[in-house]
Parts: sequence; C-alpha cells; structure tokens
Amino acid sequence: MNNYTPTWMRVLKHVIIWMIIIFALFPIVWSLSASFNPSNTLVGQPLIPEDATLDHYIELFTSDIHPFTSWMINSVVISLMTAFFSVSLTTLAAYPFSRFKFRFRRNGLFTFLLVQLFPQMLMMVAIFIIFLLVGRSFPAIGINTRPAVVITYLGGAIGVNTWLVKGYMDTIPRSVEDAAYIDGASHFQIFYKIIVPLCKPIISVLFVIQFIHSYSEYVLARVLLNTTERFTLAVGLHMFVQDQYGARWGVFSAAAILGAIPIIVLFMLVQDHIVTGFLGGGGVKG
Amino acid sequence: MFSWNKAFIFKLIFLGLFNAFAVWAAIILFVQRNYIFLGVLVLGVIVINYVYLSKKNYHLKYIVPGTIFMVLLVVVPIFYTVYVSFTNYGTGNMLDKQQAINQITGRHHRPEDPREFYFSAFKDEDTDEIFVLFEDREDGSLFLGEDDQAVPVDPDDPRLEDTTGDGEIDTFEGLEKMERPDVIQNVSRLERKEFEYDDSLMRMRDLNRFALYRPSYEYHEDEDKIVDLRTGEEYFPEEGHFVNAEGERLDPGFQITIGFDNYRRLITDPRITGPFIRVFIWTFQWAFLSVATTFALGLFVAILLNDKTMRFRKLYRVLLILPYAVPAFISVLIWRGMFNPSVGVVNRIIEYMGLSGLPWLQNIFWARVALIIINLWLGFPYMMLLGLGALQSIPGNLYEAAAIDGASRWQRFRHITLPMVLVALAPLLIASFAFNFNNFNVIYLFNEGRPAIAGAQTPAGGTDILISYTYRLSFEAGRGSDFGMASAVAVMVFMITAVLTWINFKYTGALEEVKENE
Amino acid sequence: MKRFAILTLAVAVAFGLLAGTAAASEPGELLIWADADRIEVLQEFRDEFEEDLGVPINFHEKEFDAINDDLGVEGPAGEGPDVFIGAHDWLGELVADGLVEPIEMDQELIDQFEDVGMEAFTFEDDIYGLPYAMESIALIYNRDLVPEAPETFDEFAEIVRDISDEDDKYGFALPQPDPYHTYPFMTALGGYVFGFDEVEGWNPYDVGLNNEGAVEGLSRLNELYADGSVPYVDFDTMEGLFVGGELGMMVTGPWVFPALDDADIDYGVAQIPHMNDNPPQPFVGVQGIMISSFTENPILAQTLVTELMADEDIMYRFYELEPRPPVHKAAAEDAADDPHTAGILESAADGTPMPAIPEMSAVWGAWEDALDLILTQEQDVGPALDDAVELIEEEVQN
Repeated sequence: MNNYTPTWMRVLKHVIIWMIIIFALFPIVWSLSASFNPSNTLVGQPLIPEDATLDHYIELFTSDIHPFTSWMINSVVISLMTAFFSVSLTTLAAYPFSRFKFRFRRNGLFTFLLVQLFPQMLMMVAIFIIFLLVGRSFPAIGINTRPAVVITYLGGAIGVNTWLVKGYMDTIPRSVEDAAYIDGASHFQIFYKIIVPLCKPIISVLFVIQFIHSYSEYVLARVLLNTTERFTLAVGLHMFVQDQYGARWGVFSAAAILGAIPIIVLFMLVQDHIVTGFLGGGGVKG
Repeated sequence: MFSWNKAFIFKLIFLGLFNAFAVWAAIILFVQRNYIFLGVLVLGVIVINYVYLSKKNYHLKYIVPGTIFMVLLVVVPIFYTVYVSFTNYGTGNMLDKQQAINQITGRHHRPEDPREFYFSAFKDEDTDEIFVLFEDREDGSLFLGEDDQAVPVDPDDPRLEDTTGDGEIDTFEGLEKMERPDVIQNVSRLERKEFEYDDSLMRMRDLNRFALYRPSYEYHEDEDKIVDLRTGEEYFPEEGHFVNAEGERLDPGFQITIGFDNYRRLITDPRITGPFIRVFIWTFQWAFLSVATTFALGLFVAILLNDKTMRFRKLYRVLLILPYAVPAFISVLIWRGMFNPSVGVVNRIIEYMGLSGLPWLQNIFWARVALIIINLWLGFPYMMLLGLGALQSIPGNLYEAAAIDGASRWQRFRHITLPMVLVALAPLLIASFAFNFNNFNVIYLFNEGRPAIAGAQTPAGGTDILISYTYRLSFEAGRGSDFGMASAVAVMVFMITAVLTWINFKYTGALEEVKENE
Repeated sequence: MKRFAILTLAVAVAFGLLAGTAAASEPGELLIWADADRIEVLQEFRDEFEEDLGVPINFHEKEFDAINDDLGVEGPAGEGPDVFIGAHDWLGELVADGLVEPIEMDQELIDQFEDVGMEAFTFEDDIYGLPYAMESIALIYNRDLVPEAPETFDEFAEIVRDISDEDDKYGFALPQPDPYHTYPFMTALGGYVFGFDEVEGWNPYDVGLNNEGAVEGLSRLNELYADGSVPYVDFDTMEGLFVGGELGMMVTGPWVFPALDDADIDYGVAQIPHMNDNPPQPFVGVQGIMISSFTENPILAQTLVTELMADEDIMYRFYELEPRPPVHKAAAEDAADDPHTAGILESAADGTPMPAIPEMSAVWGAWEDALDLILTQEQDVGPALDDAVELIEEEVQN
C-alpha cells in the first residue's frame, strides 16, 4: 500500500469514519439510555435519563422466572457449536467445487443456494414434527434440547456460504498444492494442512457471521425450546416485548445490551485472524 | 513422506464406529416402531458407507456431510410445505379426520332429567379390580357398577358394611373405600368407566361424583357418516367438515387435500392479482436498493479499515459491528420510534435545523426511504465483514505493481479492488438480493406494510412486499389462519425468487466463473 | 487459532450434550401453559396444588399469543398442555379447531364470578373457561394537567385543545392505528362490529363499522387529529409522553398502571366521555383458564381448575401482579378499593365483550388501514370505513 498518505487525508478518513460510527451507534446509545431509565418506555425519553438506575440490570440477574444467565449461556453455547460445525461443513463442501472436476459441479453449487432461498416461515411446523418424532426414540436430541437447535441450524450451513469460501479458495494458486501432490500427499492432507490455513481470513469471517446469525435467530429456537431455562437469549428477549401493551423496555434494553457483549468479545478475538496483515491469500514462496 | 496406511486405518476405525452407532440407533428405532426414521437411517448408512469406502468420488466425501444436514433439515421441510400447500390445513381444519371424529363423538350431553351420584370406589389389590358404589343423595338409592351396568343395590346388602357407624358405607366385600389420593392414583381407570343406566351412561364427573350423560353423536363407519343422536340428523364429510343436508357444519373440521385450489386462488383472486405489479416493483426496488446501499457502505468502510497504518482501526471495526450485534427486532422498533413524525428524534433534528419534519409513517415515499435507511443500518456491518474477508484475497503485489505504474487511488480501486471483490462476492450479493426480496420482518416491524392506499380494493400497503402482503392474507383469512394457502404463497414466492436469482447469475456470468475453473 | 477452535469445541460439546426431556400432557402429571406473570403466581401455589392432588404439576412459560398459536400444532401432536390460560376471544377458533374441552361447573361455582366474565367464556351453551381477569379501557388523566375528568365529549375536546396549545404538551393521545382503542368513540353513537342476537349470537354478515353512528363518532374524534391537537403516535410513544408528564389524557387499559405508578404520576381513571349523553362501549376482554381437549387427565385437569384455582387468594394474586380487575366477585370487591381499578370496572360496565367468532380475524387488518388513512387525513371517514367494511364482507363470504 501507498505510504504517502497526506495528513489531511488521514484526518478526513477518521472524520468520515466517525460520522458513520455516529450513524451506527445512535439507536444503540438510545437503547443504552432506555436501559438505565426507570420507566419502562422506549421513546419520548431524554437521551440522558433523569433518574438513572441500575434496577433493570439487577432485575435481569435476580429474576426467578426469567433466568437471563441461563439464556446467555444457552445462546453462547449453541452459537459456538453452530458456528464451529457450520464453518467446518462449509469449508469441506467448498473444497471440491474449487479444486475438482466432476459432474453437476456447476449446478450443484447453484442448487445449494437455491435451497437456502425457500421462505422459512412454514418450516417451523415440519421441523417441530421431525424433532418430536426423533425425540421419542432419542430424547437427547429431541424437542427442547440444545443439540436439536444446533442440528437445525446446520441444515442451512452449506448454501451461499459455500460460494463465499469457494471464491476465496479459487484465489489460492494451484502451484501450492502441486508441490505437495508430487510429494505424495492425499487430497485430504492438502486440504487440511495447506488450504485451510490459507483460508483463515474467510473462515474467520464466516465464523463470526454464523455465530451472529445463530445468536439472533429466534423463530426456530422458539419452536424447538419450550421450557424457560432452555430458551436462548433471542427467544427470551422477544418475550419481554411480546405484550402489545406494556412492553418492558427497560429490562429489554438492558438484556439486549448485555446480550451483545459475547458477539463483541468474539469479534475482538477473531478480528486479527481476518485482517492478517498477510498480503493477499496465497504467498507462494517456493 | 506422506503414508496412506495410517489414514486408511483411521478411516476404517471411524467408519466402523459410525456403523456400530448406526446399528444401535437402528435397533432403538425398530423397537419403537419409528419406521420413518429407521428408513432414513438405513438410507443414510448406505450412502455414507458407499461414499467413504469407494476409491473414486472424492468430491462426494467433502460434500456429503453438509448435504445430509441440508436434506434432512431443509429439503424435507420444503417437501412438507409443498405438501401442505395442496391441503386445506388451517383454522377449522387442523386435525386429521380420525381426530375430528373422536372429538365430535366424544361429546356428551345431560339427559333431560339429569341425575348425579356420589360414588365410593373400592379396589381389590390382589385382582386389581375396582368396584364402584353410587349413591343418589336425593333419594338415597344405591347402585353398584357391574359389568358396564349400574345395578340397584339394597342398603342392607351384606356386601356393604358401615364399619365406623357414621351412616356411610366404608367397606365393600371387605375392601376398604378409596380415599381421595387413591382415587386420584386410579383416576385414569375411573375416567374410562361407563355404566349403562336408564338409557343413559353413568360417567365420572369429578373426583366425587358420577353423572348421567348421553353421547351426542355417533359415527357410522360403513356409511362414513355422523348421526346426531338427539335430532337424528345425518352429517356427511364434505370438503373437510361433516355437513348435513342444510349445509350446517360440525366443528371441528379436518384436513384434506384440495389439489391446486390454493394455487388457483393465488392466481385468480383479484385481491392478489390486483396490486401484484405495484407490489412486485417495490419489492424489486427494495431488494436492489438494500443490497446496493449496504454493499457500497460496507465495502467503503472495509477499505478504509483495511489500512494497517490507520490508528484505532481495530476499535473502529468493533464499534461498527455493533448494529449487527444487537438483535434486529429491537433495533427496528427503536428506529420506528425515532422516525415517529410527531415526537421522533429524526424529525426533531430536522426541525432543529430549520426544515419541516417529514411524514415518515404516512407518506409512501418517505416510509420507503425510512425502510431503506433502516435496512442499510442493519446490513452494512455484514457487508463490511464480507468486504474485509474478500480484500484479503487480493494479492498485494498487484497494488504494488499498479503504484509503480503510477495509478491513482481511484484507478487502483476501480480496476483492481472492485472487480476482484465483485467476483468473490457476486454470489453473496445475489443471495442478499434474494434474501431481501423475502425479508418482511423489517417491513412488518416498522409499520406492517402501511401506509395503506386510499380507495384500494385490496389491503396491500405502500411498503408491503410480495411476501408480507400475501402472508397477511393467509393469516387474516375469513376464518382465521389458512396454512395451506400460506404454503402455496411460500412456494410461489420461492419460484419467483429462484427465477430472478437464476437470471441474476446468468447476467453476471457468475455461473461462467465456475465453468472457467473447470 | 487451532487451539482456540479445539478449546471452544470441547467446551461447547461438553455443555451441548446435556440431554433434555420433553414434557407434554402425560397421564398422572399436569402441564400448564401460561405466560410469565401467571406462572409467577401459580408457582407460589404449586406446592398446595401438588399436595392436594398428589400429582406433579409442571409449567411451560410461553408468550401469551404463542399459547394460541402453538396449541393448534402441539395439541393434536400430543405435545400440548392439560391446562392453559388464554383470552376469551380465542374461543371461536379454538372450538372450531376442536382444541378445548367444555368445563363442568356447578351453579355455586358460576355464581362466584361476574356474569360478564362467565358469558365471555360461554360458547354455544357450554362453558369453556374459568375467567380470572377482565380488561377494558378507560380515560386516564394526569391530575396535574387535568384536575377533573370531562364528562362529555365537547368538554373533552375543549380541554384537549387548551392543553395542546401549550408548547411541548398534548391534551390527548391514543395508540394508532388501533381499532381496539378507537372503538369506544365509534360505539357511543351506535357503531358496532358484528350484530348480536340473543339467540343466534354474533352475526358475521352484519358489520356495523360504517353505519351512521360509527362515522359520526369517529369524525368528531378525527377533528382533533386534523387540527393537530392530537398527535398520531403508537402505544409506546403515548405511554412515554404520559409518563413524562407531557400528555393530559389518554385512553387505555390497566396494563399501564405499573409504569405510571413507578413514575409517580398523579392520575385518575374515569369513564370515557359521553357523546350526546350516550356512554361509549369499549371492548371488554376476559382472560381465563381453559382445558385442552387433548389432555390425558380430564378429571384431574377439571379438578385443578374448578376446585383449586377458583380461589379468592389466587385470583387476587393475579390481580396484584398485573392490575386487571378480577372476575371473581370476592377478589373484585377487594380490588375495587383501588380507585384506578374501580375506574376500569366502571368503564367496563358499559362495555361489550369482544366477539369470539373466528371471523374477527378478518376485521382488524382492514379496520386498521382505514384508521390509518382517516387519522393521517388521507381519506375521509365515510369512504374509508365503507372501503374497510367492503373488504371485511368479502373476506367473511369466503
């Protein structure tokens, strides 16, 4: 990259970014304000609440009937598992599309995408029945279990994301593998030891995306989970505002704010793997 | 050296474990008569063994794991949805036929002279038989339940004994009377007992009493009809309900397949075809603008933050990911409050700047603008993430070469960055388009598709997209929700989206890209 | 990266494999579906119930509306509850779907409850639920801004205009577009949703939303929107304004009381102002406890509901947690000590229960749209209501 960025341009960049940050943060700051505001309303209150209180936060941790901590744990565990397995499945599936020749190659990838496009609304009933039946023989993965939720999410793992990883893999020159083939490595060893590490940035991106996607999903989670301690955060949050009148915005905002923390932590941990300082994906040096 | 022996053994062990596990699961399924899943399991085992043992078909070994999940959890529900679209499943037709018959024939009514009987139950622990003694407190008469009949019994019958002298019978044939906890323990058996008496049936009414009932309906399997035992009227099944000669229906109804009726309605119902063009155009605009704006902003930010010399860049990235980290529905509701024309912050700021507030909720154009802004806010972090990832795949030496050639920043962007990012992300942009085409959560949360259009013969609102509008019709149908119809909607919308996506792919040559690499 | 991956995987798998069992209606156990507030109360009495009946009692917490949605799928699938709480206007659909059981009640028990509650849960001569709370809307006014509640609509309009003239304050607001809240203004002069006949019940072919009375009543209200005295806001905004002391009056139900109490607002509850000496008739909604027809324990469920739950203490506890007036007469008497609750009861006395027939679902959408067009001054009252009624009638014919 160019080293001669004039100062005024550097300052301008920061200014622009700050403008965008304000745009991004404005509603969130509002939500933060609501979480400290004693009255349970969302709008029409001043930005800095007059009688700021920690009551809502305290309520989250002490409420008997709304086990916020359990919800958080459920969400984090489910999302981690989903992200991990989902990324694995996707990366595995992307490899042959990038490296092998076979029939249905073109259409296969397109089909994955197409399947993912089907409107999900009514799938809830089918999924419920599937896990109901499975649960009768194997209760550990039936209704109201974490594995059921993870498995359901994994159904959507390969889809458009396979394209994403495949596209990235395509930019890795073949020369890298050719050397290894000559040495007698199996295709799986090449996959595991060479290709995957080179795909670290896109895998990290995918991990974050899948985590967030699973973390905020609530339609299917609500169908599959039916006792309060097993709810995910998304389901629990939704219950706070389900009342058409009398939504408890204060507690809800507090929960939403706290709920965002795992995602932020995850992103902070993973950021470095995305922007690696690697100049491009495919340093071929002999 | 890479040896293949170790790997092969590894594979055999894994496969062996897998098969053993499969056998265990199969046994459980078989014993529980869970035949559907047994079939699925068997099929799965065959496929997996074939794929992983064969020497060729490398590609399948990688694709099969993900595909299995997809087939079980997405393809199967799709088939289910398609199946439902050919039925009348919905309010009034939720049960299957047998369940509906059970419900109807399970109804009882009290005869004209309703009598109640307090009962005492006696259980013989050895034979596990339960005897029931009834007392009509109005006239003191006693009955015994014997073999489905209620038989009158004389108070002096030697089998009955009043051992405590309180006037109440305590033992029957030496057996102790059951107290309430025992009654509860055996309630399932007592619930099922029916004793004939005087043209009626004596059935359990609560934990203390039996009462006289008569069944209201009877089902005749041979003629497939239900007879109302009070009036003699006959009801025959017709389109999911039992109907009599005057067309009166018995509730509940039941599911039946109705062929293409739902689809026919979709195509011919003026409430759907009327606004179709208008709604379709907006849906298309909505999807396109959503993708375009989020991609533009997301990529822009990604490029800015990809600069390793920028200070605070890591902090900036974290801050900018926040909209993505907060659940969408709370964000949309907050935005809705902020866009409120009377008291919302957005208008307050605009007015503060000296301009008059905008009618965000009432005016179609501004409502759409608001929605685009909200979707931009929700979606640009996702694009930023994708952009960051894609940028990493561009070899740095390309930029160096360009710099040496004297290319300006803009030229570098235009000729290196943009094309390469587009190639990497084209499928995702197309997918994002398709996703937003059906993204009605935001629209619905914001203002449920409003503002309404005056004088319209149809309830399609100004911000309704195809799917939000048609779903609404299905769930606010004349008699509640019509899931069959909603399923048909899902199928139709899917077909439209699929066609659009295919066209997009053709147009951008993304499919060709795959072909090139062959 | 590798270590991170393995670590998270290990932790996750360790947690993830915690098995779960699904609970559904099973013989010898009772399962209750209720929303958070109700479950809180029932948990308090759970030990008593279990002791009396000798069977375990389990709860599933669900969102209120989700109970209705899920019952239709889970009940027939065998995963439903024995007992559940719900709103009376669900009955039409629930009965049409064969999901509820009639409950046998002695006259003694029936007499313990207010007539309006029992009527609301009676459908075609059978009683389907034990009512525990009713709700209606009334005029809630901030005593600091409005010392005395107006009795007639003209008085009311004057007060509204006076207050709205001041900066940063509004005289009145309703959540919009909201048919439920606007209904009283349409009924005072003779509007109605469906015609009601003592013998036949609700008649879905007789829609009265665009009759003279409805149009006239709504027009009077609309004048206040037209001149800007009443802002067009949603429920949360309205509540926010009132809590912030910027709103003189609003019409809504007892669900706002906790927020108002928390904010220390001095408020009164009164009847909605009369039009031409006719009282408005708000919708009355009743909530009750019902028995699923797919229960495996019909007698036990019935005992639980009719003997154990029909208890004054429980009814009063429901009220304490969520201030909707109890239907149980004894509990209601105690509750009426609170002037706010008494105000709701007064308003409800003139109200009509919401029609419970399934055709109601066809009404809300079109009605909402009409209100939206009218109150944003996009269309006149008469034509907008005519359009809405036309749409509704079309739907119902289907």
